[in-house]
Amino acid sequence: MDLSFLLLALGQLISPQTIAYALAALGLAVQFGFTGLLNFGQAGFMAIGGYAFAITTLRLGFPFWLAVLSTIVATTVMALILGIPTLRLRADYLAIVTIAAAEIVRYVVKTPDLIPLTGGSDGLNGSSITFDAINPIPPGSYGFGPLRYDENDLWIIIVGWIFVLLVALLVRQLMRSPWGRVIKGIREDEDAVRSLGKNVFSYKMQSLILGGALGGLATIINIIPTSLQPDNYGTQTTFFLLTIILLGGATTVFGPLVGAIVFWVVLSLADGVLTLLINSHLLPISSVQQGPIRFIIVGVALMLIVIFRPSGLVGKKREAFFA
Amino acid sequence: MRHDTTRRRTGPAALLTVFATAALALILAFAGGTPANAASSPTPSPNASAAQSIQVWIRKASDRSNVAGVKVTVSSGSFSQTVTTGKDGKSLVGLPGGGTYKVQLDESTVPKGAGSIPSGLNPRQVVVSAGNQAVPAYFILVSAGAGTTPTPGATSGSSTAGDSDAGPSASPFELVVPRIVTGLIFGLLLALASIGVSLIYGTTGLNNFAHGELVTFGALMGYVFSAVLGLPGIVAIIAATVLGGAFGFVQDLGLWKPLRKRGVALVPLMIVSIGLSLALRYIFQFIFGPDQLVLPADNRAALILGPVRLRSTDIISAIICIVLLLLVAFVLLRTRIGKATRAVSDNRSLAAASGIDVEKVIRTVWVGAGALAGLAGVLIGYYQSLRWDTGASILLLIFAAVTLGGFGTAFGALVGSLVIGVITDVSTVFIPNNLKYVAALVVLILILLVRPQGILGKASRIG
Amino acid sequence: MPDTTAERAPLIDGAPAPGVKKLDPMVVADGVQRTFGGVHAVDVDHVEIPRGAITALIGPNGAGKTTFFNLLTGFDKPNKGSWSFDGKPIGGVAAYKVARRGMIRTFQLTKALSMLSVMENMRLGAQAQPGENIARALIPALWKPREKEVTDRALDLLARFKLDDKADDFAASLSGGQRKLLEMARALMSQPKMIMLDEPMAGVNPALTQSLLHHILDLKQTGMTVLFVEHDMHVVREIADWVIVMAEGRIVAEGYPDAVMSDQAVIDAYLGSHHDTDLGDLSEEQQAELLDETQVAVEREEDGTHG
Repeated sequence: MDLSFLLLALGQLISPQTIAYALAALGLAVQFGFTGLLNFGQAGFMAIGGYAFAITTLRLGFPFWLAVLSTIVATTVMALILGIPTLRLRADYLAIVTIAAAEIVRYVVKTPDLIPLTGGSDGLNGSSITFDAINPIPPGSYGFGPLRYDENDLWIIIVGWIFVLLVALLVRQLMRSPWGRVIKGIREDEDAVRSLGKNVFSYKMQSLILGGALGGLATIINIIPTSLQPDNYGTQTTFFLLTIILLGGATTVFGPLVGAIVFWVVLSLADGVLTLLINSHLLPISSVQQGPIRFIIVGVALMLIVIFRPSGLVGKKREAFFA
Repeated sequence: MRHDTTRRRTGPAALLTVFATAALALILAFAGGTPANAASSPTPSPNASAAQSIQVWIRKASDRSNVAGVKVTVSSGSFSQTVTTGKDGKSLVGLPGGGTYKVQLDESTVPKGAGSIPSGLNPRQVVVSAGNQAVPAYFILVSAGAGTTPTPGATSGSSTAGDSDAGPSASPFELVVPRIVTGLIFGLLLALASIGVSLIYGTTGLNNFAHGELVTFGALMGYVFSAVLGLPGIVAIIAATVLGGAFGFVQDLGLWKPLRKRGVALVPLMIVSIGLSLALRYIFQFIFGPDQLVLPADNRAALILGPVRLRSTDIISAIICIVLLLLVAFVLLRTRIGKATRAVSDNRSLAAASGIDVEKVIRTVWVGAGALAGLAGVLIGYYQSLRWDTGASILLLIFAAVTLGGFGTAFGALVGSLVIGVITDVSTVFIPNNLKYVAALVVLILILLVRPQGILGKASRIG
Repeated sequence: MPDTTAERAPLIDGAPAPGVKKLDPMVVADGVQRTFGGVHAVDVDHVEIPRGAITALIGPNGAGKTTFFNLLTGFDKPNKGSWSFDGKPIGGVAAYKVARRGMIRTFQLTKALSMLSVMENMRLGAQAQPGENIARALIPALWKPREKEVTDRALDLLARFKLDDKADDFAASLSGGQRKLLEMARALMSQPKMIMLDEPMAGVNPALTQSLLHHILDLKQTGMTVLFVEHDMHVVREIADWVIVMAEGRIVAEGYPDAVMSDQAVIDAYLGSHHDTDLGDLSEEQQAELLDETQVAVEREEDGTHG
């Protein structure tokens, strides 16, 4: 019996994908958990950020820092375009517009006519060159058993985790400040906050921009070890993020991190167990049918969390997003 | 409290009866022009007497003409059989048992100039259950330069109307008019689904993100009854509608009502619907596979009016839609349950205080919305073929239509749907085919800038 | 309780009438109109609100007082009209800017933020906080001093309103009355020039009413201008310096409280649209007057039918 999947699942604890989702989930938590904005298009922010980074690196030859800056600029512009018309309206409008925008981004980058720029359905490969160029770790193979990393893998894992933790601390600092106080007030009752002299629209926009930027930066971490594939940033990704923040606790700073880790470890375990069962002919389904199962699990998990434990694993029951 | 014991057959039962009657009427009226059923006479081929088989059918995208003489190999494990398509473009391949088969078209045997298969569609996996005859493996040859990336729930169906038929010097009239017509038809289909979303929102406040799956469910049921069970198209349509209504009933009974009773707020309910959408979507993929599924139908142009070419399925779908929309309008305006529905949409507590059974109204709305969505699904399946995520891909269009028309008004949903349908199709004159949904979404965002309450919505508190 | 018949500083320049000029107006409004579907919810030609006094805005249901209140505080936009606050035009300005200029409002359905502590609610009320800027929020040293100032002021106010021992509790744990007090205390955090109270006594038990009245009078002592919308005529009688009466979107009367109560136009407005509105205790004189009138009307009718 091949139990190497257990160790692989453990590897998800630190994998770049987990880091990326943790960061994007943190961004969503700022918008949704803390401010109450229904951003259902975080995947769109992630995609725009990723393409900004990849295109400026690969097509325009930008150095790493400039490409990262481009990511932030791109997501900010997207936040402004989406936010200005909808932040003054009811929350559901933002939900629909953000999903629509995310889908528009995905359709547009896949257009055959834009292949020279965006790589079409195949996406963009190799945007790690500038990042790997500044890697100080000597070449070699690190790790043990099936968990082997080369120096570039190790580099992105280390940098990624340090970055996520720094951002988490910054966000925590923000939320404990007067700015955070205004944000929490807005989530509960905008009019009350307005009547006290705060420019509610401006705060909501700041939150949207901050969360979107974190999503874009997350994609950089995600694509450096692999590649930028547009279909990885569809609505299912946003829903994964939603599950992650609710799992970990939508109104906390470390909840999204915990949620991302638990999410990917569990999914990896589930995949491993399923493969084992299928190969041992204990489960009468084909390998083609294995793919959808992880999504079914997530969908059901999302429903169960919202219904039975909305405060998540880390959040305090009293501060549950849905009181 | 009024207690009218003479009125027993209201609510879901009556609604379904009405639908069934309408459908029955349609059978009588259109018995002659029903879509061809799957068991059309197959070309004789080896093992045609096997208990299960795959029907290979190769046609050209431009005019739907059959392509003969193409070699196709069907294999799985140790089984492998190569056949050549006959004059009708078809070949029936008997199979030793149920399972997943790889169907591969040998492109070197395709006649010069007939076209090629878009990447990703050849070879393909076809799932056959034991005992299933003529499981479709349909190939559409696209001519070089048509260059459209297949999008989910894609357009291979709607290209009948005026798309590649118009030559390079086609006038704007020839380009736009057929698209307006197909756009209106698509809009009618969309309307069937959108009205349900609008009514559910109006009576319960829920933005149902799982509505796309109600549509897909109907499409898949239609597929099961027509392609898999080989029953006539009309039966498939009725089945999809009835089963859609049943699915809506089950959802409200098992999920939404208990959550309402628990007092779950609207945002968490929305998220539950998202989880449900995700789960259902992939359950569909689990059962039916990731590939495109085709509902067997006669795809030749049945009506040609100038540049407009319509298939018999298009015409029938349009008529069914119009009849049903009129029916819905009648129900909402004239019947007791319809008025109760509008009352609950307007002001739930007031309606309850006036003696209206709000829960019954909501249950009826779910059944009606499910049935309409199911019907929309199977008709969309005929219109443009289907996949496990067809409904999901049009969900955004549905929301765009509802927002455009005005949240919570059923008639707004109709108007919005027609507009979105026309915009979607007409936009292909100007922008690449795979971006046609994008045009509709951009319009949605623009409308929110200018008139957030939509065309028919009220301008009061929307912020 | 103040004696409303005792000598008081004159507020007006002229005789009491709708739109009369005030000697020292805080708010001056001209030609304000708000229309809903063809109906004028608010149609005010001219009104001035006196500075440093407690003004009551009364009228039957549907008179437009809440709409007018929302317009003045920036929570609604007028179809027509303009008004000024402390000399500067403020018509059509957004709600948060109105608050920053020194006009703070409360809400009929109290908006104490349940998910925040009492102290955090209070801190939210303060303005000019560098920590509320996203960049400066990241560096505690930049906003800690001001936060301390704000916290001290909050403690003072909470003590005044007898809520200081609840400072660290979640606002959700306060009783309804305590939340009203919290909202009022929070409104005072920014040292506003004018406080707008939207039905402050709505849903308040009699014991708390006295406490609230006391606090509102205290406000006047500190030189604050108060405008409140109210239904309860007893309250109006007790603390208002000036009364403005609205009906069907227009101002039908203005005057000192006791005078306004016996104004025919006012009585008509109330009896005309809502027979069950409590006008407060009618004086014996007024009761007799009313009986006389009714008697005359009945006699006329009888005469009529008998030809």
